[in-house]
Amino acid sequence: MVVAVWSGKLIMLEKTKNIAKQILEEKKANGVLGLMKNQRDIVQPHVFKRLPELDALVLEPKWLLAKLSMSILRSSPEGYRLAVLCRGCDERALIELTKRNQIEKENLLTIGIACSQEQAAICLCDRPYPAKVDAGEIASGVDPFQDERVREFLIGNDKKRMEKWANVLKRCIKCYGCRNSCPICVCEPCKLEDDVWVQRGDVPAEMATFHLIRAFHLSDTCVACGACQEACPVNIPLLYLQLSMRKTLKEKYGYEAGLDPEKKSPILSDFLKEPETGREYPEWINSLREKDGH
Amino acid sequence: MGTEFIKTICPYCGTGCGLIIKVKDGVAVATYPDREHPVSRGSLCIKGWSAHEFIHHPDRLTSPLLRKGDTFQKIPWDEAIPMAADKLRETAAKYGGDAVGGLSSAKCTNEENYLFQKLMRMVFKTNNVDHCARLCHAPTTVAMAQTLGSGAMTNSISDLAGAECIFVIGSNAAESHPIIMGEIYKAIDRGATLIVVDLRKTAVVQNAKIHLPINPGTDIPLLCGMMRHIIDEGLYDEEFVKARMEGFEELNEFISAWTVEKASGECGIDPGLIKLVAETYAKAKESAIVYCMGITQHACGTANVLAICDLAMLCGHVGKEYSGIYPLRGQNNVQGACDMGALPNVYPGYQSVSDPAIRDKFQKAWGGELSDKPGLTVTEIIGSAGKDIRAAYIMAENPALSDPDTSHVLESLKALDFLIVHDIFLTETARFANLVLPGSCFAEKSGTFTNTERRFQLLRKAVDPPGNAKEDFAILCLLGSALGLDFSYSHPGEVMEEIASLVPAYGGIRFERLERGGLQWPCPDSDHPGTQYLHKDRFTRGRGLFVTPEYTPPKELPDADYPYYLSTGRMFAHYHTGTMTRRSPFLNREAEEAYAEINPEDAIHLNVKDGEKIKITTRRGSIITTARITKRVSRGCIFAPFHFAEARANMLTNPVLDPLSRIPEFKVCAADVRKESQDDER
Repeated sequence: MVVAVWSGKLIMLEKTKNIAKQILEEKKANGVLGLMKNQRDIVQPHVFKRLPELDALVLEPKWLLAKLSMSILRSSPEGYRLAVLCRGCDERALIELTKRNQIEKENLLTIGIACSQEQAAICLCDRPYPAKVDAGEIASGVDPFQDERVREFLIGNDKKRMEKWANVLKRCIKCYGCRNSCPICVCEPCKLEDDVWVQRGDVPAEMATFHLIRAFHLSDTCVACGACQEACPVNIPLLYLQLSMRKTLKEKYGYEAGLDPEKKSPILSDFLKEPETGREYPEWINSLREKDGH
Repeated sequence: MGTEFIKTICPYCGTGCGLIIKVKDGVAVATYPDREHPVSRGSLCIKGWSAHEFIHHPDRLTSPLLRKGDTFQKIPWDEAIPMAADKLRETAAKYGGDAVGGLSSAKCTNEENYLFQKLMRMVFKTNNVDHCARLCHAPTTVAMAQTLGSGAMTNSISDLAGAECIFVIGSNAAESHPIIMGEIYKAIDRGATLIVVDLRKTAVVQNAKIHLPINPGTDIPLLCGMMRHIIDEGLYDEEFVKARMEGFEELNEFISAWTVEKASGECGIDPGLIKLVAETYAKAKESAIVYCMGITQHACGTANVLAICDLAMLCGHVGKEYSGIYPLRGQNNVQGACDMGALPNVYPGYQSVSDPAIRDKFQKAWGGELSDKPGLTVTEIIGSAGKDIRAAYIMAENPALSDPDTSHVLESLKALDFLIVHDIFLTETARFANLVLPGSCFAEKSGTFTNTERRFQLLRKAVDPPGNAKEDFAILCLLGSALGLDFSYSHPGEVMEEIASLVPAYGGIRFERLERGGLQWPCPDSDHPGTQYLHKDRFTRGRGLFVTPEYTPPKELPDADYPYYLSTGRMFAHYHTGTMTRRSPFLNREAEEAYAEINPEDAIHLNVKDGEKIKITTRRGSIITTARITKRVSRGCIFAPFHFAEARANMLTNPVLDPLSRIPEFKVCAADVRKESQDDER
C-alpha cells in the first residue's frame, strides 16, 4: 500500500516534470513557477528557467502560488509568459484574477495538479482538483459542513456562535496576513487601510469593520483555498467566514468562484431581475423586495 | 537576473520566524512567510510581513562618514579603517585598554558578536564589552544561572501549545511576540487556562481567563503569596523538591512571612483570587510561566526572576515537556549576543573571565593575554564616558534612545574623545559619532541568529549592502586585522567552527547542519540533534537551587508633586528605537507620531481630549506627546511607548539600577501630566 502511494506520487512528479520540460523546451513560457527542493532539503517557491533545474522540482507541501504568479506577471516586461503549477484552488484563484483583469490570460499557462485525499481532508476542500488535471489522481470532495468545528461556528444557536466568533476574532493582532496571503485580495487602495473602517495603531482589529468587510469583499470571489487561515498566527478560522456565502451561491445560483472563466458573478448581475435562473431566492431577500416595491 | 526567493530569518523580535524574501533584479521587493519554518510555520506578524520595507530606504548609510565640525564628510574605507584603528589604539596607549568601551549588538549575528568581543578582549585587554541585553534580560541571565544553571528559556516555543496552565506575567506577547502568542491560543483551544498579571488591559489580558492587575512593582508579594498557599495546602511537588532541589528549608522559612493576606495587601489582589491562581498553577499537569520586561525592568528585576524560578521549581514544572520558564527575548539575536560572550564578565558560552583555567583556555586558543577583571556594563560604559571611558565603539545599538535618562546619555556621548558608530542608518546615537561605519542589515549578510528558544538559525544573504556599505563581518575582519589580529576568516562559517571548538554546548553547531530548521543548544557534538527542553533529569547546575527573593518596592512611587505612575514599553507595529520600523511605510502608518496612553477619568480631570498634546514630566526631564485616551491603562497610570525620537520616553525613566544585574528600572517612575496649552507653545 505504502509502495503504491509512493509510486503514484513519483509518477505524478515525473509527469509534471515532463510537462514543465516541454514548456521550457518549446519556449511556451519564460519560466515555470513551482516548488524547488535544493540539495540541503529546503523547499521554496522558484521560477524554473533552465531544464537542468527541473530535477529539483517537487509538489509538496501544499504551497499556494496564485498570488506569487500575479506579482511576478505584474512586474515582468510585456510579453513575459509564466507557467504555474496549480492545485485546484490555485487554478480557481487564477481564473478569478483573469476575470477581474488582474492577469492577462494569454500570459499564463497552468499545469494542473490534483490533491491527495489526505490533503482534501485537511483543507475541507469540496473540489480538490483543477478543471484541467495534468497529473495526479482525482480525490473526492469533502463537505466542509460535515466538519464538527465548522458546524460549531456556522450552525445552530446564534448567540453561542456569536460568542465563539467574538472569542476568536478578538485575538486578531492585525498582521494583515489574511489579506497579504489571499490570492484574490487585490484592491488598491485596500479598504482595510482606510481610516473610516480600521483604526490605526490599535489591536485587536475591529470585528465588524475589519473581518466582515474582508469577508464581504471576497464573498463571491473566495475560492476557499484557506491561505488566510493558514497564514493566521492566532488560529482564527477565517475560511469558515466564507463558507456560508459560498454554499448559498452554489445552491441558490449555481455559481462557484473560479470555476467558469466566462460566467459572471451573480453579484455583478442584478439578481433581483434575473429571470432566466429560475431559482428561488434566499429568504432574507424578501426584505429587499419590499423596499424596492417588487 | 529575474525573480528569486531567499529563505532567511526575521530581524525583529527573539521569536526568530522564517521569512522568504522576494528579490527582483537585486532588490528585495516583498516578504512572505516560510511554511516550513519550525517556529512560525507559515505565519508572520505585521513586522515580519513588512521586513523588506526598510532595506533599500534612501536614508541608508552608503559610505564611511567623518565628522568635520557639525557636519559629516564621506571618506573611503581605506581611510576609515586605519583611522578607527589608530584612534582606538591611541586611546589605549594613553589611558590604558580599560579606557575603551565596546557595545556589541543583539541585531548582529553570532559570528559578528563573537568577533566583536574577541577584538575588544584581545586588542585592548579589556572586558568592557556589553550590549542591550543589559536593558532587557540581564536579570534572567543572572537569576536563572543561579537557580537552574542556565540563563535561557527552559523549553521550546511549541511546548506552550501543550501546556494545561499558562501563567503570563509582565509580557504583552500579543503585541511584542505575536507568533508565540499563537502557541498560547493553541493551548487555550485545547482547554488550557490563561492567567495574566499585567497593569494594563492588554490584548493578552482580553483573552485570559483570569486577570491580576497588581500594583506596580509588586510581583514578588504576589508570587510569594502564591508559594505560601501552595506550601500550606501541600500542593507543591514534594518528590521533585526532595530528589532534585536544594535550599527548600530556607525558602520555606522566607515564605512563611508572606501570608496570602500580607501579599494581598501589597499587590492589591483579593486573597481568594491569589489562592485560586496558586492552585490552578500548582495542580495543572503541565504549567508554563511566560514573562518579559514587566518582570525584568525593575530595580528588583533579578529577585523577580528568582521568585518565578522558585515557583516553577516548587511545583516541579521544570525539566519536562509543555512546562517550564519562558523568558521572551526581545531582539532577534539577543540570546546569541549573550551566548557569544558580548558581556563584560563572561567569554562565549557563559565561561567566566575570572576563572583562571577558562582564561587560560581562551588565551591559548586566541594566542594572547586576556584580562581577568570583569568589564563595565552598558549603563556604566555610557555613565563613565569622558571619565574612565575615553573612546567607544558602538555597533548597531542606539543608546541615545534606548537607555534611561536620555539627557545624561547625550551628555556622556558628547564627552567621549572618539566615538565610532557602526550602523545601517544615521541613528540618534550616530549623530554624536566622530566616525560612522556603514554596515549591513539582516538581508545583506550570512551568519546565524539564535532565537529565544536557543535555536541557531541560518541567515541567508538576499541582496548586496547599499553603495559602499559593507557586510558587518567584513568590517570587523578589516578592523581586527588593522589592529594586528589574525582575522583572516573567509566566511562566517569558519568563525562558527572556532566558536564550536571553544564552547562545549555549541560543539555540534556547523553551518551545513543548520540549513533545515536550525539546532537548539546544547548541541555538544556533530551527531547531537539539539535540545528541546533543558534540565531533564538534572539541572545544568546539578541540583536546582531555591534562592529567596527579597522584595524591594519600586524606587520612585507617585507622590504629591509627581502623582502619576509612568510605564514604558512597545506597541505592535513599531520596534524599539524605530530605526527600521519608522522607515517602513506600512508599519509607520499605524503610529506616525509619539503618543502616551491615559485613562478616560484622568483625561477628564486634566481636561484633555483624545489627540491633544500633553506634557509629561519626571525628575529627569519632560516630553510633549499626544494623548491617547483608553481604558487599557487604569486610573493614575500613563503608558508611553519608547520608539519615538521626537518625544523620548527615556527622557523620563529612572536610571536606578538593579544591584545584581545592573538593569535600569524602566517600568516604574513617578510622573506629572499636564495639558500642553497652545499658549505655551507660542
